[in-house]
Amino acid sequence: MRRKRRKSTEGSFSDPLSDYSPPEFDDSLEEALCDNDMTAMDFTPMVTVNLETSVAKTMQILAETGVACALVIDDEQKLHGVFTERDVLDKVAEQYFMVKDLPVRVVMTHEPVCVYDMDMPAKALNLMATGNFRHVPVLDADDKLIGVLGPRRVTGFLSKYTTS
Amino acid sequence: MGLREDILSHPVSELDLREILTLSPDDTVQAAVRLMRLKRLGCVMVVDEQGKPLGKFTEHRLLVKLVEDAQALIRPLKDVMVNDWAEVKLNDPIAKVLDAMQNHGMRFVIVLDDDGKAIALTGQRGMMEYIADHFPRQVKVHMIDDAKLYMDQREGA
Repeated sequence: MRRKRRKSTEGSFSDPLSDYSPPEFDDSLEEALCDNDMTAMDFTPMVTVNLETSVAKTMQILAETGVACALVIDDEQKLHGVFTERDVLDKVAEQYFMVKDLPVRVVMTHEPVCVYDMDMPAKALNLMATGNFRHVPVLDADDKLIGVLGPRRVTGFLSKYTTS
Repeated sequence: MGLREDILSHPVSELDLREILTLSPDDTVQAAVRLMRLKRLGCVMVVDEQGKPLGKFTEHRLLVKLVEDAQALIRPLKDVMVNDWAEVKLNDPIAKVLDAMQNHGMRFVIVLDDDGKAIALTGQRGMMEYIADHFPRQVKVHMIDDAKLYMDQREGA
């Protein structure tokens, strides 16, 4: 992404912050990542479970739906955490009989980093790349959970711009 | 040249490739779980004595098998692996990784050398890192507001 440069007048001061010209993008993919909000990407449907749902039940839901991430919410639909395949690997698999009947809140990943629906897709990719997060929940302006962005959805988004 | 053109023209070798984790068909699911946790990777390839891929075992497969069978950890990998995987060659354009992930619905893609030998693994994470590296101004240095970048716990999200 570049900003158009205005011709400087020799000897006169030019405040760089006064340049409000729109950014120029090298191609359609960069533009799609930086000049859209999250609605340009698919972030629904999503799988939600209550904090008190058992680990075994949550895993069953994930297996049946073929989804890698359950969003863990309370009775007021507020997001508290996520439970993913990585949690199964790290916290459940080797102690399955000990944790399968516990509430999912015990083994979920607490307070996941989220993006807002008005954020640009580049921000979600930023979080995924630098924070090494696989799933990023999406909130609206009222902090209400409205979806989740995961690897498959990012791949689908990028593929739209790279398939001829 | 923009990101799209780079993805279409640059080779897979420019991605940050990961080591392939391999186990034999008679190794157990528990061995796979321990290896994946140790190496922080969600996929193990099951290979024969010559190193030829026979199948793969992933985090997703682990979840599905545990739901089906609470004793899944003691099962041999040959009974639980899947025989479908995606491959790209080292000199293929990066776009082929995206195609492979999209077409196979997978996060991991095996990278082959010119002789067809599996030499590395790439996929979603490699793509994300490539994009972040490609145009750091927009992605890596993009404002994250007051979001907490690093969670208290590792991954899981």
